[in-house]
Amino acid sequence: MSFFQWDFGSVFHQPFIGIENYRDVLADEYFQIAFSNTLVYTLITVPAQMVLGLLIAMLIHGINRLKITFRVAYYLPVITSWVIASLVFKYIFNTEGLLNYFLVNVLQLTGQNIRWLDSRWGGISVAMLLGTWKGIGWNMVVFLAALQTVPLSLYEAAAIDGAGRVRQFFTITLPSIRGTILFALVMLTIGGFNVFTSIKMITNGKPGHQTETVLTWMYYKAFSAGKFGYSAALSFIIAIVLAILASVQFRLMKNQEQS
Amino acid sequence: MSKKQMISGSIYFLLIAGMTIVVLPMIYMISVSLKPNGALYEFPPRFFPKLSEITLENYQYILSKVQFYQNFLNSILVSTVTVAAAAFIAAALAFCLARFEFPGRRALFTFIMLTMIIPGMTLIVPQYELAVKLKVINQLWGLIPFYTAWVIPYSTFMIKGFVENVPKELDEAIYMDGGSVFTIFFQVILPLTKQGIASVSIFNFLTAWEEFPWANTVINDDLKRTLPIAISGFFGQHQFTQWGYVFALSAFSLLPILLVFLFGQRFFVEGLTSGSVKG
Repeated sequence: MSFFQWDFGSVFHQPFIGIENYRDVLADEYFQIAFSNTLVYTLITVPAQMVLGLLIAMLIHGINRLKITFRVAYYLPVITSWVIASLVFKYIFNTEGLLNYFLVNVLQLTGQNIRWLDSRWGGISVAMLLGTWKGIGWNMVVFLAALQTVPLSLYEAAAIDGAGRVRQFFTITLPSIRGTILFALVMLTIGGFNVFTSIKMITNGKPGHQTETVLTWMYYKAFSAGKFGYSAALSFIIAIVLAILASVQFRLMKNQEQS
Repeated sequence: MSKKQMISGSIYFLLIAGMTIVVLPMIYMISVSLKPNGALYEFPPRFFPKLSEITLENYQYILSKVQFYQNFLNSILVSTVTVAAAAFIAAALAFCLARFEFPGRRALFTFIMLTMIIPGMTLIVPQYELAVKLKVINQLWGLIPFYTAWVIPYSTFMIKGFVENVPKELDEAIYMDGGSVFTIFFQVILPLTKQGIASVSIFNFLTAWEEFPWANTVINDDLKRTLPIAISGFFGQHQFTQWGYVFALSAFSLLPILLVFLFGQRFFVEGLTSGSVKG
């Protein structure tokens, strides 16, 4: 499809146009905005989720009581559907919403309501906050399982050698769960590029397509503008980018293991 | 207080503080759904409703509309059929991949892994053309086969790990007793991997239950919508959004997921982690 001028409804006339769709995509200013939004989203939410998830996993790993309670509570955002979570965030961050009331009238940090959802980075930030909030639980569970496989004797030996907690973390914990870190990194990077529902529900690309991500932009071009060929080309570009990213991540990890 | 107690005390404090922040949005959602559905945004906004204003009118409205029962049933139907179909197909596929040498086995497995890397959303355009060709636009049958196809790669990958844990000697013993491949599959593999299948199925249920972009694209008829689309339908059709209704329906649609999750919690965590830790 990506090599044809394939517009919605034009069943009989779909001329072959070679790589023109690809050229259109790459030259498109809005695609560039969407792509950089997606990249920023991924670069910020992936590490944020992993660090917070690992931190909470380590805290839960270190306690004896209420383990299950904490695990269930931190996992709740993960099982909340994207549509619902997005709407809750949209409601909280609305100009007349709870957060602005809290900032303006309770803490008196600013004089007037902040229009979170009416600017490019405001909208993206809300989506990033939502993505992080929703992703911590998954990371927590995955890292918790990994931590349980690290033998206690390693820590005991390190303690005898006089290594402090921080040192133990970097020399024992991190190397032992390297496989899991890679797994999470690959899955979350894919997830970051996959961000769609939150943007669609919270900003729907507004204002003026400034908060689009690659997938919402693809969706808009296909189902609102009817440019199926363009969207197919865009999809293919994203698939290639992801395949390259995933293979680079695998390489990096493999090299580290050998050294 | 000893140093050890201080440390564990601060750990609990941190965990409880974090937990409060994490569950806050959900509590707020329930709280808004219990408030009267009057003004667009109340001022000053309250986190909890006043005791005197707590009302079930939003829930009564939701429960009085036939459409939402239909949406609920649609979601149940789509999710359960997807789960059943995916469990059977993925188990059979995993069994074949784990137990038999056949030409193209490696290629098939690599292909399945590749489809896991590419996000489903990027395929939405060709899938839409396919759905038009198959004449399943605006039908629940336009959802089920697609959802099933989406979850099969991950399910196969997970179940394969469980099949490989079943000792091969069992298969051989059955062959000696005159059993067939089907005897092994139905009487050995399925019962012994049922934990894995259960964990994958919970995950698949969740996927189908909350799926939004595809259902939003394929279904336009109010009565054929699944719950996520019904919830998003509150936007745009009225002059202003009635948030009380939105969050009442949201709470209502979270209920089955919560039940599935609480009952299957043990399986769920196992299914999530077995792949990541082993690999």
